Amino acid sequence: METDRLATLKKIASIVAGVLVIAGIVAIFALPRPQQRHYPKRIQVRFWHMWTAEWARKVSDICDEFNKSQDKYEVIPLSVPSGAADSKFLLAVAGGDPPDVMAQWNPVIPYWADSKLLQPLDQMMTPKQWKEFQDTAYPAAKKIGIYKGRLYGVTTGTNVWAVFYLPKHVRAAGLDPNKFPGTLEGLMEWGKKLNKFDKNGNLVRIGFLPSWLMEFAPIFGGRFYDPKTGELTLYTRENLRALEFLVDERNKIGYAKVVRFESGLRNASSGQGDWPFMGGFYSMTIDGVWRVEELRKYNAGVRRDNAELRRNHGDPRNLKSEVEYGTAPVPPPTGGTKNAGYADGNFLIIPRGAKHVEGAWEFIKFWSGIENPRRAAEFYTWGGWLPLNTAVANAPAYKEYIRKNPQFKTFLDLVSSKDLLTCPPVPYQAFLIDQINRADDFATRGSLTPRQALETLEKDIVNERARRKELGYND
Amino acid sequence: MAASKRKGGGLRGAIRRNWLGYAFISPWLIGFLAFTVGPFLASVFLSFTRYDVISTPVWVGAANYKQLFAGDPIFWKSLAVTFKYAMVAIPVGIVTGVALALLLNMDIKGISVYRTMFYVPSIVPVVATSVVFIWILNPNGGLVNSILLRFGVMGPNWLQDKAWALWSLIFMSLWGVGGSMIIYLAGLKDIPAQLYEAAMIDGASAWQRVRHVTLPMLTPVIFFNLVMGTIGAFQYFTQAYVMTAGGPEDSTMFYSLYLFNRAWRYLDMGYASAMAWILFVVIMIFTGIIMKSQRKWVHYGN
Repeated sequence: METDRLATLKKIASIVAGVLVIAGIVAIFALPRPQQRHYPKRIQVRFWHMWTAEWARKVSDICDEFNKSQDKYEVIPLSVPSGAADSKFLLAVAGGDPPDVMAQWNPVIPYWADSKLLQPLDQMMTPKQWKEFQDTAYPAAKKIGIYKGRLYGVTTGTNVWAVFYLPKHVRAAGLDPNKFPGTLEGLMEWGKKLNKFDKNGNLVRIGFLPSWLMEFAPIFGGRFYDPKTGELTLYTRENLRALEFLVDERNKIGYAKVVRFESGLRNASSGQGDWPFMGGFYSMTIDGVWRVEELRKYNAGVRRDNAELRRNHGDPRNLKSEVEYGTAPVPPPTGGTKNAGYADGNFLIIPRGAKHVEGAWEFIKFWSGIENPRRAAEFYTWGGWLPLNTAVANAPAYKEYIRKNPQFKTFLDLVSSKDLLTCPPVPYQAFLIDQINRADDFATRGSLTPRQALETLEKDIVNERARRKELGYND
Repeated sequence: MAASKRKGGGLRGAIRRNWLGYAFISPWLIGFLAFTVGPFLASVFLSFTRYDVISTPVWVGAANYKQLFAGDPIFWKSLAVTFKYAMVAIPVGIVTGVALALLLNMDIKGISVYRTMFYVPSIVPVVATSVVFIWILNPNGGLVNSILLRFGVMGPNWLQDKAWALWSLIFMSLWGVGGSMIIYLAGLKDIPAQLYEAAMIDGASAWQRVRHVTLPMLTPVIFFNLVMGTIGAFQYFTQAYVMTAGGPEDSTMFYSLYLFNRAWRYLDMGYASAMAWILFVVIMIFTGIIMKSQRKWVHYGN
């Protein structure tokens, strides 16, 4: 009896195992390959990027447009996980099989260019194109893409930060949203009036909380790198003033209170509806240009939902409200620098060793607008990306986008500023950024005074450079 | 003797005799040689070079080691953080694991359900556990602080306060204690019943039986878990990477995390290889000390 049962069990187990093996084989061989060729006869241009979800779809749409626009190349996009993209890229280059073109946003150009990993793109341009690029590209795009006089990355979206504010909160506090403060002191006054605490003194809403030294140092006239001397300028009077300001303002509310409040929110960098600003947890906050597009999409969604509700005679109390918001550049302190701040961006690079450099360059010209700014302007509006140059900004499609999204104008004005700072072009950028943010963190938490934090920062960078020198690096 | 010589001695002979066995394990063997032994040996060489994955490694002698010991404060800090974690988390893990195993060794109704409940957390992927714990330890509305608030205690900013962040990770390490608990439980089951009977005849109380029978008989298992725990603690990485990224203020900058940053964020593979070898030596020293000490406290029942 027992033997029979065991035999039956064995038989069932064998059948299940067999079915699983067959299902596995079918899954491996029968499922469509993730990258399907639509134009198998064309030259394949492999394009890596780090966007996901709907952003990846926008990028795919741009690739489709390129593929439709000519009959020689087929760009095949591949989304690579952002956390591992750099290492995958390096290993692909080391293995002799890099992508033909890659969209980057990490500060990699100086290091990769020094390591001779990148194709100088000015070499691909005609003299006229190169001159036009130098004349018309926005200063931030040039700072990001040009290293030691050569162009290594063409920007297809500069990231710039500005103040987002909720007029509803501003009005409720008895302030006029049309008279946005022109100085940092005025902005802090607004922030103070907009802060909200519960009866126990815990924050329930932040009016405005300045943070991030790299964004604030420029408006105090500070910077981290002197392009004339090529030297880092970390511990300067202006940077110190900026850091002291950030620390003072945080201390006024109380560091622990802020951390506790922010911990209860979704991550401040969360996308779309999860962004605490949209939930009204911040009356004013500093954030990046891409939020305009997110808010546009959110509001469009709300409008669509409400229209549907009305059509279905739903309860009007269920109608959602759109987010009414405004944007403004971070105002400088008295005597500071206007339209200043930090900038980075998305840029396209071609690795050395790429198999189809010409195809990659055609794609870069197509997307960035180097070739046809009027057509490229449309792509920039798909993602709410800041343009490479004035020609794209002046194209009808782009002007229409600004008309429909007036908040975007703030960013367009900012991107033309010469006072936007980018990450210092040194080969140890990742280390430098980490150390600047570390100094910022130590000071803001109160473990070091701003002066000590900047002194330590400078000392750590001097040590790192000495270490690199000893190992034989040029810098 | 002559016959065995004809058959072939040494490695060659062994391979010839057992070729079928080696053929069966060859997928693993090839993977082990290519992906473990190869990189292991390569890292010895790389630790004496400047290497950024792309360029050819450049020999720099002992510069990486010199710089690590002489001029890198984060190296020392990360070593200190890792030591502190190991010194607390390992003993706490052992005590909790043994205590749980003793409790779950009792003959009560539904004991297998309890055992499963305590074991299951240890098989949940570490990344998933870490994400859950970010919320459990959220200062504003997290489970821990909500419970504390019921008793009128305002809980700290667990992961954002440098005084608490490391302790939070130590506290979290208990979540996975089920893995060692199951081994202790197996060890307890192996203790001969006659030892307890003899102790009872001698009039030993419950505590005396634990103290003089259970614990000594469990020492081989404790020894095993101590060695594995020490190795694990010195390689602690994922939770800190996911939950704190080494912060706040480097208070959770574990050695492996710093090594990872140096290797993959700053592309300093030579430096990171040197760090890896120092870690290897540290682990070997501690494991050696534990091995040496076992004669004094581990009882094998003979």
